[in-house]
Amino acid sequence: MEPAKPMKGEIRSFLSQKEGNEGKLSDTDHTGNSSEQGTSNRVMVNIDHVNFYYGEKQVLIDVCMEIPEGMITAYIGPSGCGKSTLLRCLNRMNDLVDGARLEGKVEIAGEDIYDTRLEVSDLRKRVGLVFQKSNPFPKSIYENIAYGPRIHGVNRKDELDAIVEKSLKSAALWDEVKDRLPESALGMSGGQQQRLCIARAIAVEPEVLLMDEPCSALDPVATAKIEDLMVGLKEHYTIVLVTHNMQQAARVSDHTGFLLLGKLVEFEPTKALFTNPRQQETEDYITGRFG
Amino acid sequence: MSEGVTDSGSIPEKVATMATEKGLRGRLAKDRMATRVVSASGFMVIFFILAIFFVIAAEVFPLFQSPEVSLNKVIDIKAKGTVLAFATEEYKTIAYTVTSQGIFFQSLKGGNTWPPVALPDLDGARITSASTPQNHMVVLGLSDGRSLGVQIKFDISFNEKNERSVHPGADILDFVQLSESGRPIELIHHHVGDAGYMVTAVTGPNEVAVVQVKRKKNMMGVVRTKTQSHQFTLPNKGAITALAMDHELSAVYAGTESGQVIRLALPTDEIDSSAEIIGATPGKAVKITVLKFLKGGMTLILGDAEGRVISSQIMKGDDQRYHLSLVHGFESHAGAVRAIGPSHRDKGFVTTGDDGMVRYHFGTSGQTEYELDTGWKENIADLVMAPKGDGILALDGKGRLGHWTVSNPHPGITLRSLFGKVRYEGYENSEYSWQSTGGTDEFEPKFSLTPLIFGTLKGTLYAMLFAAPLALFAAFYSSQFMHDSLVHLVKPTVEFMAALPSVVLGFFAALWLAPRVEELLPSLLMMPLVIGLLVVVVQYIAEHTDLRFYFKEKPATEFYFLLILVLIGTGLALGLGIWFESVLLQGDFRVWLLDAAGLGYDQRNSLVVGMAMGFAVIPIIFTIAEDSLSSVPKLLSAGSLALGATRWQTAVRVVLPTASPGIFSALMIGFGRAVGETMIVLMATGNTPIMDLSAFSGFRALSANIAVELPEAPEGGTLFRILFLAALLLFLFTFVVNSIAEWVRLKLREKYRVL
Ligand SMILES: Nc1ncnc2c1ncn2[C@@H]1O[C@H](COP(=O)(O)OP(=O)(O)OP(=O)(O)O)[C@@H](O)[C@H]1O
Ligand SMILES: [Mg+2]
Repeated sequence: MEPAKPMKGEIRSFLSQKEGNEGKLSDTDHTGNSSEQGTSNRVMVNIDHVNFYYGEKQVLIDVCMEIPEGMITAYIGPSGCGKSTLLRCLNRMNDLVDGARLEGKVEIAGEDIYDTRLEVSDLRKRVGLVFQKSNPFPKSIYENIAYGPRIHGVNRKDELDAIVEKSLKSAALWDEVKDRLPESALGMSGGQQQRLCIARAIAVEPEVLLMDEPCSALDPVATAKIEDLMVGLKEHYTIVLVTHNMQQAARVSDHTGFLLLGKLVEFEPTKALFTNPRQQETEDYITGRFG
Repeated sequence: MSEGVTDSGSIPEKVATMATEKGLRGRLAKDRMATRVVSASGFMVIFFILAIFFVIAAEVFPLFQSPEVSLNKVIDIKAKGTVLAFATEEYKTIAYTVTSQGIFFQSLKGGNTWPPVALPDLDGARITSASTPQNHMVVLGLSDGRSLGVQIKFDISFNEKNERSVHPGADILDFVQLSESGRPIELIHHHVGDAGYMVTAVTGPNEVAVVQVKRKKNMMGVVRTKTQSHQFTLPNKGAITALAMDHELSAVYAGTESGQVIRLALPTDEIDSSAEIIGATPGKAVKITVLKFLKGGMTLILGDAEGRVISSQIMKGDDQRYHLSLVHGFESHAGAVRAIGPSHRDKGFVTTGDDGMVRYHFGTSGQTEYELDTGWKENIADLVMAPKGDGILALDGKGRLGHWTVSNPHPGITLRSLFGKVRYEGYENSEYSWQSTGGTDEFEPKFSLTPLIFGTLKGTLYAMLFAAPLALFAAFYSSQFMHDSLVHLVKPTVEFMAALPSVVLGFFAALWLAPRVEELLPSLLMMPLVIGLLVVVVQYIAEHTDLRFYFKEKPATEFYFLLILVLIGTGLALGLGIWFESVLLQGDFRVWLLDAAGLGYDQRNSLVVGMAMGFAVIPIIFTIAEDSLSSVPKLLSAGSLALGATRWQTAVRVVLPTASPGIFSALMIGFGRAVGETMIVLMATGNTPIMDLSAFSGFRALSANIAVELPEAPEGGTLFRILFLAALLLFLFTFVVNSIAEWVRLKLREKYRVL
């Protein structure tokens, strides 16, 4: 709990430095793989001194972080360090766990998402989540995509058709499945299923897309497809990605946060973190010297 | 268990490898063993189910076996004169023949001979006719207008080797003057009643004499007879060709040359005699040759000169007039009907005609079950059924007696009589009816399984109407919305309900629930309505106030809140129901029910059974449905919630369809349980086998019927086998339902398969 203070300060300084420089977040000088952007990079998600507990067990310790809009932010860290937990705090999926408790504040687009007056379902519509293990519904491909729009009140066939087509196209799945939309989604390959889940998530047009190790069960070809997809999607969505694959983080993300034992050790533009880590633990981890 | 383990630490490597190999072999052997045991047990289960099925089917099978008839022997009887009547003793050892020369005995087993009956001096008169023997009494018609009653007796004695021997004898009863004018008696009939007998005879072209002979033994053993004789003139419809008498001795039926049936009501203290034509053979006028009542005296069989055999019933119309209602036409003879021999045991009878054929018919079913050809053509004189129904004896004019052995243990049982509508004695119309036993042995058993099948389905329907929604909603609520801490309490409690013996439930339903339901029915019917409405209203209010945040923070409290609502709703419904009944339903809903809907109210009715059986079925449906709902992967519902679906949307659109195979099985298993349930339906209904769908009347289920009637069914008897048929039906029913259910479940599972 002691090292939490300086770490937080550090990140603050990194962000304030950005703010100081240009008045808003911009990472053009840090990330090579991110195209030259004139888009505004205001803070989309603001995680403010978050402590998280599963019952008695504290899993996140005083995490502070500002996630910029329209970019891909990756979390890396050893297994069990709390990456998924942190991700799930952003759409309150942890509410489903009995005895889960959060201290601190999480704001999305300036709104406190832990306000009791907020409808969780509204929040989750705005903050989508793609799970580590693909979980298509036992329905047709079409119905999987149409499910989200339907529950949010879209019922017109032509509208739904348009959404399904658009979502599948965004998820680079359209060409593969356009002829078998009425077939069960369970007959698809693992990679297709995962892309279907991404398409399903973007069909409700969230502002933020959370992805928890979306490629962990996929082969390199499918992984590459999904990585391309993420890069393509970040134009419209703020993406937060959890990954175990450091190459992946390096390839696709703009910013990377390194978590260790529930603490955010370092949060930097990706290139900086991988080429010039400030913390010894980060360096140990990314060079593989860390268990 | 592997042998190498004990000292593997110290043994050389080679031995260790061997040991592992040995261990592996041991494991494989165990594996094979387990496979065999498991598959053997599986086959055993299938074998036993099939065995049960075949045992039941084997008990049912004889019901539908066709009768077997074989010629036992043809005997030349040593009787002189023209044959007038004949009969046989119970054990078919001795037959007696009434001829114009007297009464002769004949051993059917061969050997013994006995002297003919010693008749008193007939004062020069001859025997001109004889009535059909009844209880071994025969009345002879004489050429001088008199009649003579003779009671044949069979004394049974046992010798030192305990062998049975029968010695025939006879008591001479009374001479009665039938025809005042001394006209020879050509047609005579009698019937034995409680205190004597009644004789009727044709004494003129349209004249009938009826004489009642009352016999009383005084204390000294001297018989005093009192006779009362009447002469009647019948409507002139041609000569009287057949006579019969009803078993109450209140009317004589005469068949005429022109095919008319005339009913002659005998005078009593209250009414005068009257004679009227009540019916005729169908179509053109055909001479009635034989009139015979079947056992019980309810069904009158007509045989006519064209060989037709028709059963009929004498019905009293709304205008208090009698009419002959024709019921069945049986297979006809090619010549005039000669004789009809009713069975002594049931509604069966044999007929013969000038074609020499003998046919066995069954009055209830209208079926002709078997026939045989005597080859005697128009020589055939008379025939009777053996008293135990196991033989037919026919006599021809040349003194030949044919004895046929018959094996027909279940007469009158056909698919139609078991499942279709049958017109029973005393009924205006064909009906589905189950009434296996009656007060007397003359009773006509009614074996229609249809009302019982109906009862089973009705009971199941009401049980499922009550149980399915409750159990499914409960399972849905507790798996999807109830707080975990409560689920751990509720599930075991409901499962415990399944352990309640159904006899306790039935007892409780019959003695406690039924009177309460009768008292509070309007309130009871209002309960779901009032509670539902209350919950919806309160929910609406909560949704639009800050209350909802309270429940969001303390999810477990909503259950207690709901509980309170249900209690309030119950109280409200009680009060409202009582008010409703007193103000709108004339103070008593039963009266109103009868007035407005024409429905009667039985205290032990389908509603009560539905509730009691519901209690037996709810735990099963709940447990299976709950399990399948809560075993839907969390990842799936999380996927839906992550898209912004509410808990309700997730539950209805994702969890429910995915769990549907399990829910379907739950319903089907509950259904199967309700179909087979016995104790509750036995105790909580009146067990009346009626067929109406009203919730306020009872029913009799197949299962309860088996339980009720098995003690009364002698082994191997018709009822016994029909009860087995009921069991077979239940078996097939559950088998078919389960097979369909399994098939649908697999289809559904294929559709909602989860990775
Ligand atoms: N539902 C839960 N209840 C209790 N403890 C939990 C729960 N989920 C996770 N934890 C604990 O919280 C800690 C962080 O878990 P989390 O899933 O966030 O780790 P992670 O970084 O995503 O790990 P991985 O890379 O293996 O997915 C772990 O120690 C884990 O045991
Ligand atoms: Mg994780």
